[in-house]
Formats: sequence, C-alpha cells, structure tokens
Amino acid sequence: MTTDIVTYEIVRSSLYAIAREMKIAMMRTAGSPLMHASGDSSAAIFDADMQLVAQGNDIPTMMGSAVISTKVSVEAIGKSNLEPGDVIVSNDVYLGGGNHQPDVQFTRPVFVGSEIVAFVMTRGHWTDIGGQSPGSYTVSTWDVFAEGLRIPPVRLYRGDKPVRDVLEILSRNSRNADELLLDIQAQYAGTFVGDRRLVSLAEKYGVQALRSTMARSLDHSEKLIRQAILAIPDGEYEAEETLDPIEAPGWKGESPLLKVKVTVAGDGITFDYTGTGPQVRGGINCPLSVTCNSTWFTVKAITDVSIPINQGCYRPVTIVAPEGSVLNCQYPASVVSGNTETSPRVIDLLLKALSAAVPDRVVGQSNCCSGAGIFSGRETDAGRLRRTGREFVTMHDVHAGGMGARADKDGISGVRVYVGNAGSQPVELIEQGYPMMVEEWSLVPDTGGAGRFRGGLASRRTYRVGYDEATFTVSAERGRSAPQGQFGGLPGAPFACQVARPDGSVTPVAAKGGQTVVHRGDRVSIQPAGSGGYGDPLERPRAAVEADVLDGYVTAAAAARDHRWSDDGSPGGTAAGRELGARR
Amino acid sequence: MKRIGIDVGGTFTDVVLIDDATGRVWSTKVPTTPRDRVVGALEGFRKILDVSQSHSGEIGFLGHGTTMATNMVVEGKGAPTALVTTRGFRDILELRRASRHDRADLYDLSFANPRPLVERRWRLEVTERLRFDGAVETPLDLGQVRDLAAQIAASDVEAVAVVFLHAHVNPAHERAAVEELRRLLPDRFVCASHEVNPEPMEYERASSTVINAMLGPVCGRYIRRLGGALEEHGFRGTLMFMQSNGGLAAPALVADRPLVLLESGPAGGVSAAIRTCERSEIPNAILGDMGGTTFDVSLIRDYRPEVRGKSLLHSYVVRSPTIDIDSVGAGGGSIAWIDAGGGLRIGPESAGADPGPACYGRGGTEPTVTDCNLVLGYVDAGSFLGGEFRLDEAAAHRAVEERLAKPLGLSVQDAAQAVRAIANALMAQAIRIMTVERGYDPREFSYICYGGAGPVHALDLAEAMGIGRVIIPPLPGLFSAFGMTVADQQYDYQASLERTLADLRDGAVAASFADLETLGTAEMRRAGLDPGAVRTVRRADCRYVGQPDVITVDLAEGPDDPRDAIGRAFEEAHLRLWNFTSPDKAIVIANVRIQLVAPTGWRGQAAPVAASAPAVAGRRRVRFAEGDADLDVFQRAAIPVGGRIQGPSVIEEPSTCIVLKASQTAVVDRNMNLVIELAA
Repeated sequence: MTTDIVTYEIVRSSLYAIAREMKIAMMRTAGSPLMHASGDSSAAIFDADMQLVAQGNDIPTMMGSAVISTKVSVEAIGKSNLEPGDVIVSNDVYLGGGNHQPDVQFTRPVFVGSEIVAFVMTRGHWTDIGGQSPGSYTVSTWDVFAEGLRIPPVRLYRGDKPVRDVLEILSRNSRNADELLLDIQAQYAGTFVGDRRLVSLAEKYGVQALRSTMARSLDHSEKLIRQAILAIPDGEYEAEETLDPIEAPGWKGESPLLKVKVTVAGDGITFDYTGTGPQVRGGINCPLSVTCNSTWFTVKAITDVSIPINQGCYRPVTIVAPEGSVLNCQYPASVVSGNTETSPRVIDLLLKALSAAVPDRVVGQSNCCSGAGIFSGRETDAGRLRRTGREFVTMHDVHAGGMGARADKDGISGVRVYVGNAGSQPVELIEQGYPMMVEEWSLVPDTGGAGRFRGGLASRRTYRVGYDEATFTVSAERGRSAPQGQFGGLPGAPFACQVARPDGSVTPVAAKGGQTVVHRGDRVSIQPAGSGGYGDPLERPRAAVEADVLDGYVTAAAAARDHRWSDDGSPGGTAAGRELGARR
Repeated sequence: MKRIGIDVGGTFTDVVLIDDATGRVWSTKVPTTPRDRVVGALEGFRKILDVSQSHSGEIGFLGHGTTMATNMVVEGKGAPTALVTTRGFRDILELRRASRHDRADLYDLSFANPRPLVERRWRLEVTERLRFDGAVETPLDLGQVRDLAAQIAASDVEAVAVVFLHAHVNPAHERAAVEELRRLLPDRFVCASHEVNPEPMEYERASSTVINAMLGPVCGRYIRRLGGALEEHGFRGTLMFMQSNGGLAAPALVADRPLVLLESGPAGGVSAAIRTCERSEIPNAILGDMGGTTFDVSLIRDYRPEVRGKSLLHSYVVRSPTIDIDSVGAGGGSIAWIDAGGGLRIGPESAGADPGPACYGRGGTEPTVTDCNLVLGYVDAGSFLGGEFRLDEAAAHRAVEERLAKPLGLSVQDAAQAVRAIANALMAQAIRIMTVERGYDPREFSYICYGGAGPVHALDLAEAMGIGRVIIPPLPGLFSAFGMTVADQQYDYQASLERTLADLRDGAVAASFADLETLGTAEMRRAGLDPGAVRTVRRADCRYVGQPDVITVDLAEGPDDPRDAIGRAFEEAHLRLWNFTSPDKAIVIANVRIQLVAPTGWRGQAAPVAASAPAVAGRRRVRFAEGDADLDVFQRAAIPVGGRIQGPSVIEEPSTCIVLKASQTAVVDRNMNLVIELAA
C-alpha cells in the first residue's frame, strides 16, 4: 500500500513535469517569435489509448482539442503501423481533428521495447501555412482551402529522421519557410524530450506502474470533478448571444445565433447547443473540437481549478452540438477564428447561462479575441536583409483587451483571456526585426465597464508602417457586441481598429473584415474590446473610484456618469479632486 | 585577522567568525528583527564577539548577506517610485507581455494579478524616441524632464526609474535625462535602464530598472546605517555585501545597484560550496539547500556556479546575473495532505516558522516533512537546533496519525515513510531539472548538501539519482554565513552587441571585451583593489538568428579574436541542450559579459578537531522502510580527521543529523567535510 501511494504520486507528478519540460524545449529552440516569445505552443502526454493524462500550464485552446486530434492522428496511420522514432504531423480540422489550420500538431508514440506505452504531442502555431492572405489569419475565406495547406495525419519523422519529401512540401507552402524549419525542429525536440523522459520513467518504475498511474490519475480527476459538479444546484440554465458578422465587401454578413441549455443533474452536466445557427461562410465557424474545448474549459473554471487537469475531468460532461451548425461545422467550412474569437464568445455565453447557478464564479464578459494583426511585405532594411536573408517578412502580433470583473475583484487590463494566452511581442524586437515602428502601447481609459468591481481595460497598440507596401489583416470579435457586465455591471468598450493615412484620411477596419493594403507612413491602431463590470456601480467604494480617476483608468466624466462621483477640485473636495485640480 | 560572516535570513540571522591565524571557527544564531534588520545584525555581531572572546578591533573583514531586498519585492514594500518612459509607453510595466503571469492557473477566472510596481499616476512620459539602431527619431525634450522633476520634488516619491526605448543601443537620451533629474532631485534615488540592464526587450528592462529604483532608497539607508553602527561598535575592517552572482561587492557599488542583493542569501551557500569543491578537488557538484519552506538546487561545473541572466521573483522579471537556483516547495515545513481523491501530496503550503511544524509545539496541527522525519527517527527531539528547544514527538505523531495515517488506512510509520519518499521524489525532480534538462548527467556530479534539513534527506536522494558521493560540509546549518567569509569579490559588466558572427568586424568582439575591462578595472581601482590580482572571466550570450533565448558560453583565455571559439562553444551547448544544431543559421552574439574576480575570500584550513577517536554518545531508534533499528549515535564534533563511521548509525551535530545505512561509511576528510561514498 505504501509503495502504491508513493509510486503513484511520484509517477503522477513526473508526468506533469515532463509535459512542462517538453514545452520548454520547444519554446527555447523555436524560430518564430509567435512560438518562442509569445509562447503560442503546448505539449501534452497521452496514455496508450490516446487519452490525455497530463499537460503543462499551457494554452487551453490547444489542449482540449488535442483530446480529439491525437486520437484521429493515431487512428489515421493505424497504431500497429507506428514504429519508434515516428512523428505524425497534422493540422486539418476535417482530416486530423484539429482546432484550426495554423495550429500544427506533432504526435509521437513512446515505445518501451516493442510496446507503445504512451503518446506525446506538441502543438505550435505556424505563422504562415499559405492560403489567401500572408500570415494565414483572415476570416474572409470562402472555404477551408483558402485558409492554407491542409496537412492530413502523415509521418514527418521516421526513426527520428525527417522525411524529406514531406518536409519539402510543408516548407514550400509557407511564406515563412525560414522560421518554419526551426519551428519544426523545435516541435520535434519537444516530442523527443518527452519520449526520453517517459522511457526512463517506465524503466525506473516499470511499465505497469506507468500504466496504472495514468489510469488512476484519470479516474482521480473524474472523481474530483464529479464532486464539484454535485455542489452546483441541479437545474436547467439557458442563454443566447449573437456572433459578430463578417464585414467584407459583397458578403452577406450573417450574424449566427449561439444558443445553449445547460443541464446540471447530480454529478453530471450536459451542454446542449441545439438552436445554434447554421455554419456560415467565413472563418468564424467552430469544428466540434473547438466547441468541446470551450465547454471543457468552462467546466474546469467554474468547478475547481486545483483539480489536476486531464481527460478524466471531461468524463462527466455531455456535449450536444448539431452537425452543420456554427458550433459543429462540416467540410468545407472555414474555421480560422472559430478557435480564437468564437471560442471565447462561447465561454461568455456559458458564463451568462451559469451566472444563475454559480454567481460567485462567473465574470463580466471579456474582450474575446486574439486580435491577431499581421503585416506582410518586402524587407526594406538592407542590413537586416543581409543578416537574415529574408526578402519577405511577416510581422504577426496579438493584442490584449480586458478581462471581465469578478465577484470579489476588478477585472484585468490588457490581457489574453480564457482559452488563449499567447503574449504580444516586445516593441523593441518588432522594430529590430521588421520594417515597423510602434508609436504607442497603452491602456485606454473608460474601456472597462463600471461596476462594484470594474472590468479590465483594453490596450491600444499603434504601428507606423515602414514597409513600402504591405498587406494588413486583423482578426477579432466584439466589434459589434460590446462585452456585457454581470449583475448590474456596465458593458466595456467594443473592439476598434483604424488606418490613418499621411493624407489625413482615416479608415476604420472591421473586426472581421478582409485584407487591407497599407503603405509607408500609414498609422494602424488596434484596440481589442474592454470588458464588463460586476455588480452595481453605485456600490463601488468611493476610494476605489477616486483611485481609478487619479490613475487615469477612468476619466472624471465617466466616474461622474457611472458612479455619481463629483468633485470640483475645491479645498473641501476629496483628495483625488484636489490632486487633479493641482495638476490642471 | 578575524573575519565575520552575517547572513540575515527570514527567521534567523546566522553568524560565523573565523580566525585566520588558527583556522578556528565560531558560530551563533540570533533572531532576525524584520522591523529594523540592523538591530538583529548588530546583535549577531556582538554575540559572536562574545562567543569567540574577540574584540571588534580585531575584525578585519565582515561579509554580509540579507534577504531584505527579496522580501521588499515580495511584500511590495519598496520605496514609492516614479517611472519615466518614452511617450506612449507608460503602461509597459502593467501590460507586461499581455499574457497571464507565470503563476496564474490558466483555467482560473479569479486569479489575482500582481500589483504593478509603480502606481499608474506615477508612470510619466516624456517626448523622445530612438530607432532600433540607435538613431534619433525624435530628440529628447529636456523641458518636459524638468517639469516632471518639479512634480516629483513636490511629492513623496523617493526613487525614479528612467526607461527609454532602445536605450541599450544608444543611452544618450537616458543619460541626459538622469543627469537632469539627479541635478534637480539630489535627494532622490535615480537610475536609468542602460545602467541597470543594457539589454533589449523593454518590459524586462523596465521591470529590472524599476525594482532597482524601489530598492535603492531603503537598501541605501540600510547599508549606511549598518556601516555606521558597526563603526560605533569599533569595527574598522572592510564591509562587503553578498550579491546574487555569488560574489561580494563594496557597499558603494551595492547602494547604486541594489538589484544585485536579490539572491544574496542563497548565493552565500553557493560561494561556500565552491570553496569546498576547490579544496577537495571536486570540479562538478550538485548543491542541495533544504530549509524550512523550500529545497533549493544549484550546480557547480568546473568549479564555477551556473549563472543565469534572467529570473522571476514573485512573477516580476529581474535581469541581473544570478546564480541559477531552482526551488521546489519541499522544505522541512512543507505540509503533507490528502486531496479529495485520496492522493497524498506535499506542499506548496508550508507551516513556515510560525506556527511551524506540529512538533514545534506552537499550535501547528498539520503534519510536515519535519514531523515525519521526527516520527521515523531521522531527527532527534532533544538535539534539534543544538537542543535549543525540544521537539514535541507526541504532537508530530498525532498530526501524522490524524491527518494522514487514519484517512489512508496506514500505520503512522508507513504514512510518515510515504511522505518522506514523496518529498525525496520532489527533490529528485528538482535535481533532474537542474541537470538532465541542461544536458548534464547527475551521476557525474557529487552532491553537497546543507541547510538544516539537507543532510537528513541527502543519502536517500543521492541513491535515487545514482550520485556516487555525498559531501556534508562543516556547519551545514550556517553554510551561507560561512560563504560570506570565503567568497571572493566579483563584479559583472555587460554590453549589448546584437550582431551575427559574420557581420562582426575583425577584432570587434575583442574590442567590446576590452571596453568592459577598462570600465571594470577603473571601478576596481576605486574600490581599492589591485587590478593585477583580478581574474577576468569572459562570456558571450549567443543564439541562432531568430531564436528567442540566448545560451551563455564561457570563453577560455585564448585567441585575440574569439569569434570561432564562441561559435564552437555555442554549437556544442546547443547540441547538448536540444539535440540539434542548425549549421545553415547565422549565430548572433547578443551580449558580451565580463566578470572580474578578486580573490579576497578566506582560503585557510579549518582547524581540525582535537578529538582522537569517535565515541558512541547514545542510541536512537530509526524506522527504515525495511524495519526498525536501534542505532549508535556519534557526535560529529568528536570525529577527528580521517575518522570513519560505519553504518548503520547516526551522526548528530547542532544543526542537523545524518542517518547511515548498513552499507554506508562516512569519512571526515582533511577539510572537515563528512564524505559518504555510495555504491554505484
């Protein structure tokens, strides 16, 4: 018994440590800033039946969907056809169970002797996989083919040697072949490290101990999640919301309905998306793997985050999503921003439904976007061209809005939320690496919804284009639907983007528009949505309102409007008012 | 001459005194006085003089380490600070990288965000802008700098950090701004990012600079007050401070750059270990420091500590050369608990020093690692901390029984055994991260352990890792304080280069190193050191074009143009770490670094113990996994050089104890280390 307890805990904690180590290996060797500086990558370990047993503290969007894609990848090749040192590559949502085309998964069987004891996977966001626009991240795509190369599950490494033919096809279909080769090696390095560590773990404690730990670990998390669901009041909780439409010339501009009925019954929970609108043209659809991921994320978030995360957490969850709907789209619907924009909107929808069940665990609605902004064109700096040898360069950055207020504290400003967590690029690295300058990166006052607790603010990044000519695409949500508050909290500001030309003209850019062409001297600013407040703004303590005004998170005018805060700067006024008066 | 080392920790202030002439060593512990740490440090100074019957005039040297800076950052108690940035970028400190901080669980919607180090009202902007290559895009508006100075002068802000974009490439604007601010604000602490951390990436540089600024006024006062108070007590020797890089530095330099104090305490232990390695001719060692709340691992390779340029402190980024230390929450005070699914877990909660483990008898009811060690006989109730207070065995037994054994359906001993095994595994994981993940094989290292609880777990841990030799130095419980007396002075300088090997002109790298040496040598002269006696270590931070992270390579003395050597060393390291190289990718030298080392630390021989033969001092029951055994207990102080203790037995000393199994033999080497060779 003692040995059992001890071995279990040692092997269990080792699995999580190995997943973390895989991610580190990947980040430290990757070529594209998106993977190394922003950390848009993840790693996980699966048992021999392709059940997810351990993951690092990684981007959730990549993890839930890996539950589906790992199984599909392995089954496509056939488990019995796999040999040591094989690595399967895949990205396709329809052929490989992926989440969206730019996220490419490497799956590797781990052998002890002739037996597969586990699988490891690494997943990275590739900055360009071809398709309609540079950076492969525009939503005005007609179908999945317009989104870039479709990679079905095929072997990219055999016996730890790259399969050159496949590698050639992959790299020749990227506008960014140079960084991509490093990224591929990095993802491979992650699987290699995971393989090595698991084999030595199995050698030390025995394959049987590894197998039983994995099984017990899944059961263990399932048991904990069931206990937590049991504590949620039984009942049916419903909500609906409308997605922002695609706004490109000549497009229909459909705004699909998102609808859910959550049924909590004992220690099980069902999410029924029946009534959700049909899939639409344009990359805002979710394949089932993305809808599952949003749902699973929410379950974990409203139960107990300290429960070790693995596939066992998802066993008590039933998901019903009608085929052909925007939340279970079918071939050949395009999907790119389903994963980064629609997915967080689904979470906001679920939190809205569940606010009646677990009011203290939901948050004001959030910015719900990656705000992926991409500039691509010909290099203009001769010195840099000599150094890097890159004639065409693509700058890919994500942008940060607000996270909604919580039941006991303010929201968070300028942050990636929910299933996304890739960070934005350092200004100095952008300017060193691309013909771009950043003129401003700051928080925007009054973008966080007022409430007893205030929503987080949006940030705004303004670029000055240094390319002679470049394409610009941006992908976001909440250009139309502002993030709402909870329990009386006010909404935050919506997404805003514009191009200001040197001739003084200013063109707004839609959250889900097409491709824009920009030129040297144009100023492009990207500002994701803010977020909603929590509770009645009139209940916010005066000291907190004053501190916000002094710090410029909230203007005096907005404080007067939302909190009935007044101060004329007279000697009898408040400290904040006096200080503001002194500065004027 | 006599030397004193004072290490001010969170709970205790450890003090040692060494007499150069005789090699005799004295030690003592006094409580730390968090409200005013000078009081505790002085008490330690007085007490060690007393214990050693010395007078203050005899003390030629005092080395000092303190956790003060770390605590200030963790508790948010730095000086009120203003940040002055390039217009448009005041929020870089709050926005960081826009991703959630490293300690937030990504599924957690209610995580707390770390407080920005500077309130937004004191994040100020001036008009100026440089391009990435250092060319001026918009000139600095000094008038605006003066206006800000007036605003700061009228406030309680005590420190100002100036961070302009690309200042690591061209510091001209920052220089002009800080010159003006220092002129107009002579009583405030002002520092610029190019002085503190001349490296690219604005958030990381700003964070380091702001932390330096917020520490500046408080650390400066502490340094001056301690110096003054020691002088009042008749101290006329040299006072030095321990830095994160493992070396000592003069008070004036530390007062300008208090950032270097952040890992001051742990660095002392590593310095002491380096000396141990040198004397015993052990080039490679893993160091394990097990205290109350954490187990800290670091590495010595080729008699040098592994150093890193960037660390996270309480989720704040600090870029400053720091001994690479990895911590896991498996200290003596870490709490063992059963989760809702019936799994046995350890930490990260710790009972700390107050109430402390259940056996401290101060009201703690949760079973800790120390409680389990007591139950099993690995720790003795009567001789813990030199017998200063008796441990409560019944309380430990009760905590383990009620919280662990009963729910698990195990005997108290089995439950305690399980906790010990899991704690060992967590520590082994930390050692593995330190070695295997860096491409080293732990079996090629010796294991040096210290901290009160370090030796208690050392042998099991070494066995699990396949390590062949364990070394327990004298005074393991005061090892960091000891390190303050044996450490050398060490000064780090760095410059940003950001050029590919092919792009660098002939001699350019050598010229950069030479510039740094000129700068460093001048500072050494000012600190009263003979530049002739100073050893220079040259390093370069390298990466492939496009990669994010640098690998720091050491350069041997050698050719005038070190480009080839740098390229080779980088590729070797890349292969070791990541199992591949990219021959078609250009290699970038991001930064060049030098470290000037003045060998001023004590290198004498500790006086051997006068004892002739070890005698059995008692018996103790230890509960091994294989069964109970009544073992002979030896006092370490009574074992002479060359003395051998055959296991199974127990070796007891004031700060810790070691349990030898039947197959193990401990030998005292000529440097007074206990050395245990383990069978492969």
